[in-house]
Amino acid sequence: MQRLLRFVDGVSTWVGQLFAWLIVALTLLVSWEVFSRYALNHPNPWSFDLMIMMYGTAFMMGGAYTLAKNGHVRGDVLYRFFPPRLQAGIDLVLYIAFFLPGVIALVWAGYFYAAESVAINEHSTLTANGPPLYPFKIVIPCAGVLLLLQGLVEIVRCIICLRMGDWPSREEDVEEVDVDKLKAMVRQEPQ
Amino acid sequence: MKKEIWFGVIMLAAVVVGVLAFMPPPSEMSNGHLGLLMLALVVVAIMLGFPTAFTLMGMGVLFAWLAFHSRDPAVAWQQTLDLMVQRAYSVMANDVLISIPLFIFMGYLVERANLIERLFKSLHIAMARVPAALAVATIVTCAVFATATGIVGAVVTLMGLLALPSMLKAGYSTQLAAGAITAGGCLGILIPPSVLLIVYGATAGVSVVKLYAGAFFPGIMLAALYVGYVIVLAKIKPALAPPLPEAERHLALPALSEQLAAGGARRSALAGLAGALRSTGVPRGPVLGQMGVVLLPALAFVLIMGASYRLVTSPVVVDSAAAGLEFSSADEAPADASGASPAAAGGDAGLAEPPASDALSEPPPADGLAEATATATATTTAKTVTATTAAAAEPALTPAEKMAADGERRPAPKAFWITLGIGAAVLLAFYARFNFHRVEIFKMMLGSLFPLAILILAVLGSIVFGLATPTEAAALGAFGGILLAAAYRRFNLPMLKESSFLAVKTSAMVCWLFVGSSIFSAAFALLGGQELINAWVLSMDLTPLQFMILAQFIIFLLGWPLEWTEIIVIFMPIFIPLLPHFNVDPLFFGLLVALNLQTAFLSPPVAMAAFYLKGVAPPHVTLNQIFLGMLPFMGIQVLALVLLYVFPDIGLWLPRVLYQ
Repeated sequence: MQRLLRFVDGVSTWVGQLFAWLIVALTLLVSWEVFSRYALNHPNPWSFDLMIMMYGTAFMMGGAYTLAKNGHVRGDVLYRFFPPRLQAGIDLVLYIAFFLPGVIALVWAGYFYAAESVAINEHSTLTANGPPLYPFKIVIPCAGVLLLLQGLVEIVRCIICLRMGDWPSREEDVEEVDVDKLKAMVRQEPQ
Repeated sequence: MKKEIWFGVIMLAAVVVGVLAFMPPPSEMSNGHLGLLMLALVVVAIMLGFPTAFTLMGMGVLFAWLAFHSRDPAVAWQQTLDLMVQRAYSVMANDVLISIPLFIFMGYLVERANLIERLFKSLHIAMARVPAALAVATIVTCAVFATATGIVGAVVTLMGLLALPSMLKAGYSTQLAAGAITAGGCLGILIPPSVLLIVYGATAGVSVVKLYAGAFFPGIMLAALYVGYVIVLAKIKPALAPPLPEAERHLALPALSEQLAAGGARRSALAGLAGALRSTGVPRGPVLGQMGVVLLPALAFVLIMGASYRLVTSPVVVDSAAAGLEFSSADEAPADASGASPAAAGGDAGLAEPPASDALSEPPPADGLAEATATATATTTAKTVTATTAAAAEPALTPAEKMAADGERRPAPKAFWITLGIGAAVLLAFYARFNFHRVEIFKMMLGSLFPLAILILAVLGSIVFGLATPTEAAALGAFGGILLAAAYRRFNLPMLKESSFLAVKTSAMVCWLFVGSSIFSAAFALLGGQELINAWVLSMDLTPLQFMILAQFIIFLLGWPLEWTEIIVIFMPIFIPLLPHFNVDPLFFGLLVALNLQTAFLSPPVAMAAFYLKGVAPPHVTLNQIFLGMLPFMGIQVLALVLLYVFPDIGLWLPRVLYQ
C-alpha cells in the first residue's frame, strides 16, 4: 500500500518538477523578448500568448505536486493543535465533501471544454494568426486528473492515519524554510 | 485535547449557530441568505484546516449548482460545469497573475545568493555609532532583503540565526531583539515588488503599477518608524540596547591602508591616496584600485548631475532611446555590479550604470562628461544600445538629430544649480570625513547592499516609470537574481532546481487558491449574497470614516486566524464593491489593506513570524518573550495605518505625479 502511495507521490512530484522548468524557461523567454523588442527592435507577436500558456501550464501542473508535499495553504490555527486522528478524520470528511466534487467537476468540465477547443482547432485571438489554444485547454483536464489521483492518495493516507493513529510518512522535498540548510548557509560564509 | 482547541471549536460552533439563528425560517429563505450561509460555512471550513483552495472550490461548485438549480433545474449541471471551467481558465490566462511565479522565483534565487550575512555585517559596522546599532542594522537588513526576496519565513529564520545571537551577546533585551527581527522580516510583503500587491491588484482590478508606486512610500515610512522607535527606545533606556564595545566596532584595515593611515594619522583617504601616488615605495596598482573605490561617490555624483543637466537642458525628450537603455541596464546592472572581479571593479559599474542610463537621451559623442567618466561597461552598453536604436528607429527620433536640428539648448533652471551647489558641498564634506576606516565600510557595502538595492530599484523603477510591465520587470528581476547568484559563486544546478521547484509549489498554491476563490465568489454573486451584504452595509448608514474603520478592523481580525492570501482572495471581492458607495479609491484601500496585513504576521498567538524565530532561537528565549517584543511593533503598524489614513498623500502622491 505504502508503495502505491509513494508511486503516485512520485508521479505527481516528477510531473510538477518537470513543469517547474517552465518557470525558468518563462524567465528566459520574457527576458529575451524584452531584449529583442527594445534592443533589436524586433517584437515577437506570439510571445505574449506563449508567456500566458507557460505560466498557466506551470501552476496547473504543479497543483498535484504541491498537494503531494502538503504545500497548499490551510488555516492551521486550530488544526495544528489537533491530535493526528482528529486531523485525519476532518480531512477525510472534507476530502469527500469538497475535494472530490470540486475536482471531479473540474476534470469533467475541463474535458469537454478541451474537446470543444480541439474540435474547432481553436487558435488564440490575441494576435492575428495566434498560436493554437487547444493544447493549453487540454492542460485543465490533465492537471485535474493528476490532482484527483493525488487526492485519492491523500484520502488513503487519512484512512491509514485513522487506523494507525499517526500520519504515514512522505517523501522529503525541498522546503521553503529548511532550518538546517539555512544554518549551513550562515555557517559556511567566510569572514 | 487542550483548552485552546475547545475554545476554538466552541467559537466555530458559535459562528454556525449565530448565522443559523439570524437566518429566516427555511420557507422564507432567499438565495441571498443561502449566500451568507455559504460565507459563514466557508470560514468554519477553512478554520478546520482543510486546504483552502479545495474548500473554496468544493463549496463553490455545490452552491453554484444550488443557485442554478433554483433558476432552471434542467440545465443546472451544465451551467455549473461551464462556470467552473471558465473561471479556472480565466485564472490560467490571467495577465496580472503571470508575474507571480516570476517574482517568487526571483525571491528564491536572491535568497540563495546568500547576501544576508554580508549585508548585516556591513550595515552593523556602518551604523556602529547609532544608538541600538544592531537593532537598526537588523531592521534595515530585513527591509532590504525581505523586499528583494519576499519570503517572510526565510528572512526571519536567517535573521534569527544571524542577528539574534549577536544582539543577545551585546546585551540587548530579548524582547527588543525579537521584535526587531519579526517586524523587519514582514516588511517584504508590503514594500514593492511584493506578491501581495499583485494578488490584490488581480482581485480588485487595480493596476499593479499604481499599487507599486503607491506602496513605496508607506513601506519606507513603516521601516523608518521601526528604526525611529528603536533609536528612541535606546536613548531613553540604554540598558535595553547597550552600545557596542569598541572591539566589536573595530574593523581591521588591509595592510596598505594601515600603512597609509598610520603615515597621515587621521587624514582623509583621498588625500592619503593622492600622497601615496606621488611618493615612491608604495605599490602603484593597489593604490590606484583604492583610489577608484574612493572616487566612486564623486563619479556617481558627476554622472547623475551631468545626466540631469543634459536632461533639463535638452530641447526634446525622446523616450525610445532611454527606454532601450533602461532595459539593458536593468538586466546588466546586477551582473556588472558584482562580476567575478573584486568588489571594487564590480561596484564601480553598478554605481555608474543607472546614472548612465539617464544619460542616454544624449548621443555618446556629444557627451563629454559621461564619456570621460563612465566605466567601460556602462559606455559600451550605452553606445551599442544607442547605436542600435538610432540605426533601427526613424532618424528624426533620436535626440542627436533633434538637437542638431534646432541647435540650441535651454538654459538650466535655477533649481539645478542649487542642487548642484548643495550636492557639491555635501560631497566635499563627505570626502573630508572619508577616512580609511570608512573606505573599508564603503567597500563592504559595495559587495552587499548596492547589488541588492540596484536590483530592487531597477525592477521597481522600470515598472513605476512605465518602461516595463510588471511581468517583464519580474522576469528581468529573476534573470538578475540568477546573475547575482552567479556573481557570488552560489549559482549551480541544484540551486536552480530548488528555486524553480519551490517557485512552482508556491505559485501553484497561490494560483489554485485563485481558481478556488474565483469559483467561490462567482457562486456567492450568483446567490446574491453580495447584494444582501451591500444592502445591509448601506442600511447602517455609515460615514466613510466609520466604514473604513470597520473594514480595517474586520481585516485586522481576519488576519488573526487566516493568512494574507486567503484574506485577499476571499474577502476583498466582498469589500471592493462597497468602496464606490463611500467614495474610497480602491488603490488607497489596497495600500491600507497591505499595511494592515502586516499585523497578521505579528498578532499573537498564531503569528507565523514568531514561530519561525522560535524555531531557531536559543532555548532560553520563550515564545512569550517574542510575542511581547512584537507588541510595540504592532502598535507602530497601527500608527502607520492611522498616519496613512490621515495623510493619504503618503501613498497617493507618487501615483498621482507619475500617472496624471
